[in-house]
Amino acid sequence: MSEAEAYSYDADMRKANRKQAVEGRSVIFKIKRCDGPGKPTRWESFKVPIETGANVISSLNWIAANPVTVEGTKTTPVVWDSSCLEEVCGACTMLINGRVRQSCSCLIDEYAPKEGDTISLEPMGKFPVIRDLWVDRQRLFSNLTRVKAWVPIDGTYNMGAGPKESHEQQQMRYALSECMSCGCCLEACPQFTKEEDESKWDSSFVGAHAISQARYFNEHETGKQLKGERMDALSGAGGINDCGNAQNCVKVCPKGIPLTESIGSIGRSATMHAIKQFFQGKK
Amino acid sequence: MSENADSTQNRHFLLRRLHSLSGIVPIGVFLIVHLVTNSTIAWGGLNSRVDQEGFGWIDRSIATFQHEVSFINNMPLLLLIEITLWSAIGFHSILGVYYAMSGKGNTGAYKYGGNLRYALQRTTGYFGIFFIFYHVATLRWGWTWLIPGDAVWSHEAASSTFAAALRGSPEEFTAVGMVVAVFYFFGVSSLIFHFANGLWSAAITWGITISRPAQKRWGFMCAGIGASLMILAWMSIIGFATLDYDRAVEVENAMHGEQIHLNSEDALDAVTLTGHDDTDG
Amino acid sequence: MADQKRVIVVGGGLAGLAASIRVAEAGMAVDLFSMVPVKRSHSVCAQGGINACNDVARQQGYSEYQHFDETLIGGDFLNDQHPVLEMTNWAPKIIDLLDRMGVPFNRSSEGFRDLRLFGGSLFKRTHFAGATTGQQLLYALDEQTRRFASEGKINMKEFWEFLWPIIEGEGEDARCVGIVAQDMRTMQIQSFRADAVIMATGGCGLVFGKSTNSVICTGGAASRCYQAGAWYGNAEMIQVHPTAIPGADKCRLMSESARGEGGRVWVPAKKGDTRKPADIPDTERYYILEERYPKYGNLVPRDIATREIFDVCVNEGMGINGTNQVYLDLTHMDPEYLTEKLGGILDIYEKFVGEDPRFNPMRIFPAVHYSMGGLWTTYTAGDYQPDAPISGFKPGDSIPVGSEPGQGMKVGAHNNAMTNITGLYAFGEVNFAYHGATRLGANALLSCIFDGLCNGVSVVNYVREGGHTPAAEIDQSVFDAAVKQEQDKHDNLLKSTSNGTGDRKFNPYQIAFELGEEMNSASTVVKTGPGLEKCLGKLEELKDRYSKVELGDGAMWTNQSLSFTRSVGDMIIIGEAIAKAGLLREESRGSHYRTDFPERDDDKFWKASVAKFNASSGKSDVEFVEVKAGLVKLRPRDYGKTESNAGAKKEPVGAS
Ligand SMILES: Cc1cc2nc3c(=O)[nH]c(=O)nc-3n(C[C@H](O)[C@H](O)[C@H](O)COP(=O)(O)OP(=O)(O)OC[C@H]3O[C@@H](n4cnc5c(N)ncnc54)[C@H](O)[C@@H]3O)c2cc1C
Ligand code: SF4
Ligand code: SF4
Ligand code: FES
Repeated sequence: MSEAEAYSYDADMRKANRKQAVEGRSVIFKIKRCDGPGKPTRWESFKVPIETGANVISSLNWIAANPVTVEGTKTTPVVWDSSCLEEVCGACTMLINGRVRQSCSCLIDEYAPKEGDTISLEPMGKFPVIRDLWVDRQRLFSNLTRVKAWVPIDGTYNMGAGPKESHEQQQMRYALSECMSCGCCLEACPQFTKEEDESKWDSSFVGAHAISQARYFNEHETGKQLKGERMDALSGAGGINDCGNAQNCVKVCPKGIPLTESIGSIGRSATMHAIKQFFQGKK
Repeated sequence: MSENADSTQNRHFLLRRLHSLSGIVPIGVFLIVHLVTNSTIAWGGLNSRVDQEGFGWIDRSIATFQHEVSFINNMPLLLLIEITLWSAIGFHSILGVYYAMSGKGNTGAYKYGGNLRYALQRTTGYFGIFFIFYHVATLRWGWTWLIPGDAVWSHEAASSTFAAALRGSPEEFTAVGMVVAVFYFFGVSSLIFHFANGLWSAAITWGITISRPAQKRWGFMCAGIGASLMILAWMSIIGFATLDYDRAVEVENAMHGEQIHLNSEDALDAVTLTGHDDTDG
Repeated sequence: MADQKRVIVVGGGLAGLAASIRVAEAGMAVDLFSMVPVKRSHSVCAQGGINACNDVARQQGYSEYQHFDETLIGGDFLNDQHPVLEMTNWAPKIIDLLDRMGVPFNRSSEGFRDLRLFGGSLFKRTHFAGATTGQQLLYALDEQTRRFASEGKINMKEFWEFLWPIIEGEGEDARCVGIVAQDMRTMQIQSFRADAVIMATGGCGLVFGKSTNSVICTGGAASRCYQAGAWYGNAEMIQVHPTAIPGADKCRLMSESARGEGGRVWVPAKKGDTRKPADIPDTERYYILEERYPKYGNLVPRDIATREIFDVCVNEGMGINGTNQVYLDLTHMDPEYLTEKLGGILDIYEKFVGEDPRFNPMRIFPAVHYSMGGLWTTYTAGDYQPDAPISGFKPGDSIPVGSEPGQGMKVGAHNNAMTNITGLYAFGEVNFAYHGATRLGANALLSCIFDGLCNGVSVVNYVREGGHTPAAEIDQSVFDAAVKQEQDKHDNLLKSTSNGTGDRKFNPYQIAFELGEEMNSASTVVKTGPGLEKCLGKLEELKDRYSKVELGDGAMWTNQSLSFTRSVGDMIIIGEAIAKAGLLREESRGSHYRTDFPERDDDKFWKASVAKFNASSGKSDVEFVEVKAGLVKLRPRDYGKTESNAGAKKEPVGAS
């Protein structure tokens, strides 16, 4: 599984595009813009000369330095979020041609191989827009708090090594650990819907991202201690049961996180948790 | 966590899981039984127990079906079973609609198989509710005005009256009858898809299938279950749609008369069955 | 809250998070500022691993002390020795802590932490979590931070940009009592009081245009402290990684194992040959390293490879199509073999370049990777005070000092990692102390976390016991003045949108681009006196143009260009300190290589360069001060040249 499969959706098409990419071409970027929360949205198009190896970020950089639309109107540089440019920080997530992915690893050759081809950029739809392509993904981090995504260590003073762990267990946890909280899995999830009211976050669907992180910590010797609390949170409204098993999440995850396995595994934990609670006489 | 939050949480969990469970037991189980029964119209010819002189394949099928229907209609605690079933279906439907409305499909942008199934699960759910309503209203509650050609279904003449209800008239397909038949076809297929896909997804929800290969394998099995049920369903529909009405009436009459030779155990049934005739008729 | 005193941490990379956790744990309120959600800090990019002595290596004769020694040799003795000793002594305990936090370190079949070999050592002493060690470490600290934040002990200020340290008092009495920061969304500028401020803002790769760093690594924050009077040490020490993939937006690391497996470095023999690589016959290719170093060919040590590639492109202009790129060619090898041996790194290349390196030669170039230099800091030396420094250390030699805390630095001393401004600390990459003239692979992550954990205690002690007026009681005017200064700067930039000459010369992105080009060619791999002079001239020009900069966006909401434009001005100033210190250091040491002074000159330059910003001239004054040594004697840094020392040259996969 992993990356290969996560990208298999139209990988062949993209590879084919790459082969026929025309050198020295210009490409039209259609960008959905918005000056701030509550402001109207508009589309602006820019004609960007494509250098070798150009990706969406380098094109946005070019637009920032030359903020003139195809109609020749001067406009402001586009605002977007980015950091690592190596597809490891998750910042630059947006909708490219309508589908969610990282823009730093999005090669123009694969999306617009010919002169005049168009690429559309939109902000993620499940999070409130701050400006242009930049959205506020605080809810995503808040969901990590909701499932207590940490190991409850006693403190940072020296207390010897951590628990021993088998190679297999490490490999399994490592696969989950690479999640960069980009939110692709939430954007593509039909069950995860936009919620601007912060007070409702804790009862709206958490999404695959936090479910998988909960599993990551449940699988750690010390992290297990909070398993009960995590399962409480995930058994309630907006928890694991709200997943509709569309499995889009695993398809769009750039890090190939085995999200559906995490969902199954947390589902099992929830079942066990409920049984345990029943027999322990807890309400 | 406050106690209050705890109990809402538990309630939420319970409802969700009951929703999932109710789709399998009793609804799913009933669906299977129902389809097996109905499809006897196509394969009941295998049943030699209902055989009598002059009966061909199709006659035995009609007889078997009639026999099964009668059997069901004479089950003890039938009402209780029905009530359980209706409440399960009601519960599953109401909650299902509520849950389905919490999501927002996006198959336009993400055309993955899983996503299509997710969307289909919801559409088939909605459609299924509609279909079940029609099905029950016409055939159980006797809302005959909804049946083309004003056919009245009777469990004593199960095959013939159903065939008439399906076709719009006893003999021929009328235009409306055609619509009804197609409606049945899609209705039943929807429910089966909904069931099979629900079965697949429940295994993840309950944490029975975790690994991808397991989910895949179970997926194939569910597809198999779905396909088998589909075949049964289609066989039934085709069977009834093409049924020789007159012949069916004959067979049914023959069954209610004394001529039918039954073995001792079934004879008992037959007696009770006739006994009921008056009261129910 | 029992403790009214607060600590501000600027930066949420490894250093900032470790510090926040440590301070919060001590019961002190922390305000954590970061330009990006801390989980997206640059530390996430680190791949290779983190060094620490460990039981296996120890039984083979390795020790914390030897790790210390290696770090000094690696740094060509420009490191401050005491902090390094303390750091290497803490290293194993830091790994244990990270382990407890749940970092998925790779495991041996028996379930112990696995180790890998890294540059600069004969022993396996590098701990790693797959090929994403930095990510895993950052996440572990991020999780603990989230835990404290959920308990209200750390106050998260994400998407806030640090603008200026608020300093009260003059000269010796100058003391940092807070910061000015700006919300990057609402653009609101505000002051925040703090009894101590920890800068953990990372490196300054963007001064060189495209580097392996993240887009936020402008060095802007460090530059602002520098302009506010903090000193900047060893600015000229910039590490350049020999093989990076030049991209349209940044340079991504390419492991050296590609050369190890048979990769050949070449350029077209004819300048300006625009044919496709496959169309250029063997005889018309110039195999740079093989021809210049027939004996070792493509496997010459890292620094030589870097310099030669640079020389061919920059000095001789023979790069591919006139660009700064050379081919790293694996196409002569069996694709299946390549997939098996180098699959992972070849995939990265394909993902970002869009070409399959099994069939197309890779295009690579050295790229700026790390800044050893940073804000100058001090410390109090620990218990280990040898009468005479040790002269040489070999594996298995008896270890002169134990590994308990307090040998190198006095743990908890108020001034550990403090800049020349009282109450202003520098942790992590922005601290100049640990890595001297070159950083050893996998030592940076260590120094970041060490700073936070060890020196975080110093901060707490300083705040509790320092006896200063609590920041909460300092006159409001001090804060208002600082806010006004920044607000004015900000408003002037906003106003510049209406200058409207539209001349490209005043476009901030153009200025940044030229800054990067100039710094890259004059002040990285190969430096010369005249080159640096010219560079300083160019910086003057840029500074002048910057004073007339025209902003492209006048929005009062989430104005990213404004933030970028502001940091361009700060980058020019740091750039100048880097170039100037490089010009004055007339020797070659570590990553600083001057063709006009190719030898190390210990008499004159076993000294740290300290740049001080001259507010009246707007320029850097650079002086050289004694390196704080005393534990280990100088000796030649000969490894890498003596080819018998195989271990030192070995660069395992993922080394970075
Ligand atoms: C590609 C790559 C690979 C590497 N691999 C390794 C390796 O294998 N081993 C190793 O030891 N080292 C490695 N390094 C080096 C190491 O990653 C860095 O030195 C280290 O991560 C720096 O951490 P830091 O905490 O000092 O700062 P960073 O992680 O850079 O964080 C800086 C923080 O400061 C904040 N900030 C900056 N400016 C401002 C401002 N003005 N206002 C508010 N906040 C601000 C940022 O938001 C960020 O949170 C690698 C580096 C790179 C580029
Ligand atoms: S699980 Fe994958 S898609 Fe979801 S946030 Fe993590 S990395 Fe992104
Ligand atoms: S499987 Fe669950 S979490 Fe994943 S996309 Fe579907 S509904 Fe969302
Ligand atoms: S910028 Fe970090 S993932 Fe794209």
